[in-house]
Amino acid sequence: MAKEGDMSLFNDVLEPFRRVINTDPPKDKLSSATKLNFSDSNQSLKDGLNNLLSGKRKSSISMNDVSTPEKRVRTESGSTPTAPPSPWETKRLKIDLIAAKAQITKLESRINHQHTICKEMQILFEEEKGSLMEQHKRDERALSDMEDRLQLIRRREQELKDEYNQAIKEHKEHKATWDKEKGDLQKQIADMRDKLLECSVSCKDQLSEMKKDMDELLQALEGSQSEVEMLKAEVTKQTSRAEQCTTLRTQMEKQAFELQSVTNKLKELEYERDSYKDWQQQAKTAQKRLTNMAELEKEVARLRAQERSLRDAICNKLLLEEQVHLLQSRVDALQPVQNELHEAKVKLASLEASLEEWKASARAHGIENSRSLSSTLDSALNGQLNATAASSQAQSQLAQLTEEVASVKFERDKATGKLNELVIVRKNQESLIHRLQKRLLLVTRERDSYRQQLDCYEKELTVTLCGEPGAGSAALLSARVEQLEKALQGYRDLLATHDQAAHTKLVETLRAESSKWREEAETLKRDVAKLRAQRDTLHANLERIGAQSQTKVLHLANNPAAEAQKQITAELEAAQEELKRLKATLRDGNGAGACPEETQQLKQQLESSRIKLKRLKEEFTSSAQEYRNVCYMLLGYKIDRTGHKNYRISNMYAESSEEYLSFTLDDDGIEMVHTDYSSTLGELVELHLHQHRSIPLFLSALTMDLFTRTTMQQVQ
Amino acid sequence: MSQQQTKNCITLRGSAQIICEYLKFAINSVLFQRGLYPPETFKAEQQYGITLLISEDPQIKSFLTNLLTQSEEWIVNKKVSKLSLIILNVANKEVLECWDFNVQYEDGDVALSKEKNETVGSKDLKKIQQEIRDVMLQVAATISYLPFLDCRCSFDVLVHAKTDCDVPEMWAEAKPVLIANAQNVQLKNFSTSLHKMETVVSYKLVD
Repeated sequence: MAKEGDMSLFNDVLEPFRRVINTDPPKDKLSSATKLNFSDSNQSLKDGLNNLLSGKRKSSISMNDVSTPEKRVRTESGSTPTAPPSPWETKRLKIDLIAAKAQITKLESRINHQHTICKEMQILFEEEKGSLMEQHKRDERALSDMEDRLQLIRRREQELKDEYNQAIKEHKEHKATWDKEKGDLQKQIADMRDKLLECSVSCKDQLSEMKKDMDELLQALEGSQSEVEMLKAEVTKQTSRAEQCTTLRTQMEKQAFELQSVTNKLKELEYERDSYKDWQQQAKTAQKRLTNMAELEKEVARLRAQERSLRDAICNKLLLEEQVHLLQSRVDALQPVQNELHEAKVKLASLEASLEEWKASARAHGIENSRSLSSTLDSALNGQLNATAASSQAQSQLAQLTEEVASVKFERDKATGKLNELVIVRKNQESLIHRLQKRLLLVTRERDSYRQQLDCYEKELTVTLCGEPGAGSAALLSARVEQLEKALQGYRDLLATHDQAAHTKLVETLRAESSKWREEAETLKRDVAKLRAQRDTLHANLERIGAQSQTKVLHLANNPAAEAQKQITAELEAAQEELKRLKATLRDGNGAGACPEETQQLKQQLESSRIKLKRLKEEFTSSAQEYRNVCYMLLGYKIDRTGHKNYRISNMYAESSEEYLSFTLDDDGIEMVHTDYSSTLGELVELHLHQHRSIPLFLSALTMDLFTRTTMQQVQ
Repeated sequence: MSQQQTKNCITLRGSAQIICEYLKFAINSVLFQRGLYPPETFKAEQQYGITLLISEDPQIKSFLTNLLTQSEEWIVNKKVSKLSLIILNVANKEVLECWDFNVQYEDGDVALSKEKNETVGSKDLKKIQQEIRDVMLQVAATISYLPFLDCRCSFDVLVHAKTDCDVPEMWAEAKPVLIANAQNVQLKNFSTSLHKMETVVSYKLVD
């Protein structure tokens, strides 16, 4: 229990120390944080530490005190000799000794342990001491710093105090000056008040003076008013005179105006006279022109006469035509007469024949009737002669008439030609006349305009000459304006008549041009709008670029784009690696085999399947051979396939290998093809194929036939 | 949602939150519409009065939360001028499409800001949401004219920040993208009265 108590005591002693050690660095910090109060805390800490150290020492000393007497007691108990050492006692003593020894060793070990602890503690204390010393030094340094600072602050305070005193002094000075100023100002105010009073007094004096003046003035005014009345009476008299004068003046003015107007009229008349002179000249020239006109008119008259004559000629022509028509009708009427004449001639011939007959008959018959005959003949001859004469006359008349007609026609043509010419001439003349008339009109217009101009100039001259301002000038001006307006109107008319066509053309061309220009202007406006829009966009771009230069662009480092980029690069790399790997495996596979087991297996499979195929082939060929053999043995025919759907059959009992039949397979069935051998079997073919229509029957019959033949040979 | 202290009062942070929420839905909507991820990984969600699709992919979710929390800080400190969602071909890193979200900073309600001693806006939240809905509908409609993406595509979000901005952990500097022969389509804008969001999609014009 005592040992345990010691241990606990020791621990109790150690515990606060350990705590101090453990909490030392934070305390340091604390101390540094509260430097101002540190000296006190440091002192207290030191005191605490000293106490602790002393306590420990005391405790260790006390512990030694406690242990040593016990030891001494035991050693004493161990060394005290006993008179009768009985075996039980000896045993007990031995046991005690052993126990004591064990206790001694235990205690010694504990002492050692405590010694070590003590050493550790000493080391720890030394370390603590060092750290505390350092702390102390630091604190001293801090203290000195603080003192320096304090001194600085004090100095500053002193300075500030001085400044403050100075400021107060200044303030007092200022106050004194301001007080002085205030007194001055108050004095000034008092002076001003005095002045004001004086002023008011003087004003009152002045006012009274002014009133006096006013009274005087009023008196003067009354006097002046009376004077005014006097003057007014005079004024009325004077005004009446003045009125008389004004009436006289107006009369004068009227007369002067009349004079002026008369002079104006005179001038106008003079001007008119001058203009008349001009006019006479112009008229003379116009008359000359008019005489020319008379000539032209004469010509026109002559031409008209010609035209009349031509018209008469045309009338004559019409008459002649009528005559011709009459004559033609007459000719038409005469033609039947001519025919009659011909007939008469024929009759005459026949009559002559008959006359001859008659003469002959007369000669034959006698002369008794000759006279009568001759007379009749004569009469007949006369008649004939008359008729021929008439006919010749008629023919001559006809020729004459035709000639006349021709001449008349020629004349008519001539006349029409002349007429045409004349018509053309007339037209020319008419146009000439028209032109002349126009020119005349123009000339008259010109004349008018010139006259008006002259008037204007004259008026102007008069105006400028008698340029006195007055009521007459307005009238003159109005007259002048009227004249000018007239002249303007005349000019306008002239222009209208003169250049209507030209004007319209000009106007049209101008309009066309103006429309063209407008279109151009519109297109240009559009261009301008486009260009403006472009300029705006470019400005915006420029601004944007400018703004970019002024700012810096930031973005989050792990933005989705960057992540996507990384991902895609990773994928790419993975793909490339896989590609490489696959390429490598491919290369290896070409040499040694990528999956040797698989390839081995596949090879084995291939081999086995090949073997299987081979066996199957063998099996098939053997079974086919067997089948063929069986067929041959059972049916007596060997069937060979010679090609597609072609089969060759040869019999077992055939004499040579060339005796064979060939068949082809059709859609309908099987057909026999003609061969050399089949041609020798005409009977069998006829019987079995053509009549019975059975190939098996034919074949078996052939077998039978061949068999009988071979057996016959064998029998023979 | 937004930190509304009183009615019609939006703080700077609240506005930034609205912007970031819009960005989240817009980016998800684009990812769904452009078919970058399979449609079955998206979940329908009611927002701004319309049904929008949100990705359920944990990677995308974590990416977006990381991005948007940092972006919100930057937007509050007025460091960001633009966020670009780029869609690129994974095989050759070619940028096919670029969704620019331009952020502009506005003054908000000056009178109210003085009163509250901090910059605040006074725009009605419903009106802001309506404007955002219009933009989202336009985003959904872009599929009709954007070219078909027939290759494996991925996306990234570039933040155009001011040059004096620090680069936090997990972030890196990137190069600005430029699409050659690009066609730009400006979508509708919306504003929280503190921030104005402008959405532009530019895509490669197919010859």
